[in-house]
Amino acid sequence: MALIELRDVTKSYKRDAIEIPVLDRVSITVESGDFMGLMGPSGSGKSTLLNLLAGIDRPSRGSITIGGTEISSLSERALAAWRARHIGFIFQLYNLIPVLTAFENVELPLLLTKLSKAQRRDHVMTALGIVGLADRDKHYPRQLSGGQEQRVAIARAIVTDPTLLLADEPTGDLDAKSAGEVLTLLQRLNEEYKKTIVMVTHDPHAAERASHLLHLEKGTLVEQVVQR
Amino acid sequence: MKFVGLILKSARRSKRRTALTMISVALAVFLFSALRAVLDGFDAVSAASSSTRLVTIRSTSMIFSMPTSHAEIIKSTPDVQDITWASWFGGIYKDPKNFFGQFAVDPESYLRMYPEIALTDPERQAFLEDRTGCIVGDGLVKKYGFKPGDKLTLQVGIPVYGSRDFDFTIRGIYQAKGAAVDNQSMMFHWKYADERSTQKGQIGWVVTKIANPDRATQVASAIDAKFANSPNETKTQTEQAFSASFASMLGNLNLLLGSVALAVVLTTLFVAGNTMAMSVRERTTEIAVMRTLGFPAATIFVLVVGEGLVVSIVGGAAGAALSRLIVNGEALGLTGGFIPAFGVNNGNVAVGLGLSALIGLLAAVIPATMASRLKIVDALRRVA
Amino acid sequence: MGLISSYNIRSMTVRKGTAAMTAMGIAMVVAVFVMTMAIAQGFNGALVASGSNENAILLRKGATSETVSAVLRTQLPLIQALPQVARGSDGHPMASPELVVIIALPRVSDDQPANVPLRGVGPLAFEIRNTLTFVEGRRFTPGSREINVGKQATVRFKGLTMGSDVKFGGSTWKVVGVFVDDDASFESEVWGDVDLMMPAFQRDGYQSTTVKLTDPSAFESFAAAIAADPRLDLKAYPERDYYEGQSETTGTLIRVFATFVTAILSIGAVFGAMNTMYAAVAYRTREIGTLRALGFSRARIVSAFLVESMALAVIGGAIGCVLALPVHGLSTGAMNMTSFSELAFKFRITPGLLVNGLIFSAVMGAVGGLLPAIRAARIPVARALREI
Repeated sequence: MALIELRDVTKSYKRDAIEIPVLDRVSITVESGDFMGLMGPSGSGKSTLLNLLAGIDRPSRGSITIGGTEISSLSERALAAWRARHIGFIFQLYNLIPVLTAFENVELPLLLTKLSKAQRRDHVMTALGIVGLADRDKHYPRQLSGGQEQRVAIARAIVTDPTLLLADEPTGDLDAKSAGEVLTLLQRLNEEYKKTIVMVTHDPHAAERASHLLHLEKGTLVEQVVQR
Repeated sequence: MKFVGLILKSARRSKRRTALTMISVALAVFLFSALRAVLDGFDAVSAASSSTRLVTIRSTSMIFSMPTSHAEIIKSTPDVQDITWASWFGGIYKDPKNFFGQFAVDPESYLRMYPEIALTDPERQAFLEDRTGCIVGDGLVKKYGFKPGDKLTLQVGIPVYGSRDFDFTIRGIYQAKGAAVDNQSMMFHWKYADERSTQKGQIGWVVTKIANPDRATQVASAIDAKFANSPNETKTQTEQAFSASFASMLGNLNLLLGSVALAVVLTTLFVAGNTMAMSVRERTTEIAVMRTLGFPAATIFVLVVGEGLVVSIVGGAAGAALSRLIVNGEALGLTGGFIPAFGVNNGNVAVGLGLSALIGLLAAVIPATMASRLKIVDALRRVA
Repeated sequence: MGLISSYNIRSMTVRKGTAAMTAMGIAMVVAVFVMTMAIAQGFNGALVASGSNENAILLRKGATSETVSAVLRTQLPLIQALPQVARGSDGHPMASPELVVIIALPRVSDDQPANVPLRGVGPLAFEIRNTLTFVEGRRFTPGSREINVGKQATVRFKGLTMGSDVKFGGSTWKVVGVFVDDDASFESEVWGDVDLMMPAFQRDGYQSTTVKLTDPSAFESFAAAIAADPRLDLKAYPERDYYEGQSETTGTLIRVFATFVTAILSIGAVFGAMNTMYAAVAYRTREIGTLRALGFSRARIVSAFLVESMALAVIGGAIGCVLALPVHGLSTGAMNMTSFSELAFKFRITPGLLVNGLIFSAVMGAVGGLLPAIRAARIPVARALREI
């Protein structure tokens, strides 16, 4: 069974009395171990799709099943718990919490688990090790470069060993070199650690690294490409 | 309590803002504790007042006197075990501003009836033996540097005592054991005052001791019954009731101080609420990120309220501690005369802390609710 | 200043919530300020209104108030003989020998005993205090056990209404009239015939004498005449000065209390304003950078933010004044420390007080806004423009 299944998913927004469709009857499957790139022009609905996969937004119609769970029918509370366990989210603007150190930022999702302090420490240092920033654990975000911040964000995303990694334009705010480092890391997570990744991107360099590509336009799927 | 770390770090986000808010709460609690302390001071006098002593005054008002014969008649009332009397002298010590209580008393019985007045035996003897001798409270020693053996001269304030100054010799310094008696008064022989009075044989009030506090009302009625319909009608009540009515003479203190306390709390609420709202608004994205990570809405609510509580309670603790140190009626020279000693006790501190917690809670509730109800996608969209 | 101030004022409406909270914080402080000062003013006002510049009061030399003064019966004719004392229509010298004692009556508000002043007056007292008018009944008849009560006293204390029988001094007295006198302290008093009061309270002399002078300017010679007479150990005071002095102790106490409470509260409110302004500056960093890049000087930025802060504070102050207004005219009472009697008076809010309240709020706004305004001006332009 596919890891992710979207069936006839529609999402529209209401502006005053008008309904504006952002996604129109989209059906997609993603297999476990895929590195899926979502591309499309501005307003094509790709970020919305990502939000739906993360469970931070709900479809107007249709169903979304991830890892056997139909998330579109879960309550808010159950969704939060599900999200904590199964999703790792990487934002374009990193979104690290400025008053927390790198260590504390990565530890954040673990505070929702029942792990002991020592166990949490283990997980955090492992995650930071994977992204190559174990020596910067006590630094604050303002003391890190953009690329380093994003890598800490990635560590935060993988520290709970989630089922699925979602990345929203992860290289959008980085210079070429940092972007390359981040993408290499993502690729490694996918190939070495077998992480399933869905990544929204504009960047053709980023798109290159993906195993599959989906093109969206005006809320509908127009093309699917298999690269690897 | 792994979230405590998060809460504390959040509060450190804007140190200046947190500090300003903490100081506001600190000041509010300081003011509140100080006011409560004054009120409690009055209550303490009432509470410490004896329930086995009755005070008899003229029913029209305390400022009128009664003849000494009243004391004899009162003494014969059943259940009266002991008796003494006193008069208010109301003289001037150098300057009218130097106000302290001056009482013309029947020395032996007065000291016997008020064991709270603590004197050494030699001092007691010296006082009893010297017709122009007096004793002063140790609170006055701090103010005026009185020593045993010093001369003390009072100018007459109330015309009935004539026009010549009264000269006394200080024969002892007393301590006040318990709040029923204050330590800033002076007592001297009634006979000395009576000699110079234009109206002889008059006393201000009579104090009696009864065995059984439960019989207080009956004895009081019995005493007053003896003088009903005479030109010198009396009103007798327990010392406790008497002190309470005395405090109320100053005005409805409870109402006044209660209103001020309310104003203080409201003002601080606005300030603290504003801070919490600002704090939450700045963190919209962060809150959205945490919700994305899976933090339930309820946890977000708790985190924000927790931050409000931490800031308020720390501020409140500082304010309460400061008031405990500074607010002391005697040290500030505000007591003496009508205002009893007051100080911030541990009870007041506890109330102050409770108040600050309440402020923190109320101030944070609405921002916390808004933070927990945030729509994740809207918040994330705002930045990118 | 024009463009930039209106920009600031309009910016306020963008962050409505925060601006409202800050304004309300300031409003509370100003409300407390106005209300507590209204108490002091009411108290002072009641006493000052009691004095007329046509009258003088005589007390024993060295006495600080009526209660510790004494005027002998034999001294009265000597006073009445002086030429500076005005004569009534029937030729009688306008002098009222008086005596103030206290009777304990329960308060209407809390049923606790209060010290009510009872003033024995001479028959010409009403002519001498000619601002006094009767709203109910008539003057008491000299020589009878009739009494008059001031309006405030009837409201504040139990058992003094028109027609009541009041027991004191070993007999019963009847209230035959209620008077008002422009909220003066006399309205807290009960008046009766001094010659009947004296024996009732076992006194054998008066405490003071109030006279009406032929002309306010006659006071100097009147006082001199009194001082010169060795048979009179008395001193003359203009009535107004005497009552003003009476209010000093308690008035000062109230004012000190008011200042103390208001000062502490204002610090809290100023900090609130500071927080708001700092946040405003942070929020509008890019705008400020733009304005600077366009050529607006540092000084203009500072003054603009100061104006914004003060405008917000004054709005709060105005709200505070409005909140405080309902207390105006409310009756209350306080103990006059010098006479040991309870003075009933009304909260008095004057236009001057309201103006003071607004000025106070402006000051709070200025103090709270100063540091943030300086910070706004100091942001390096280039950095400001980069800010998101």
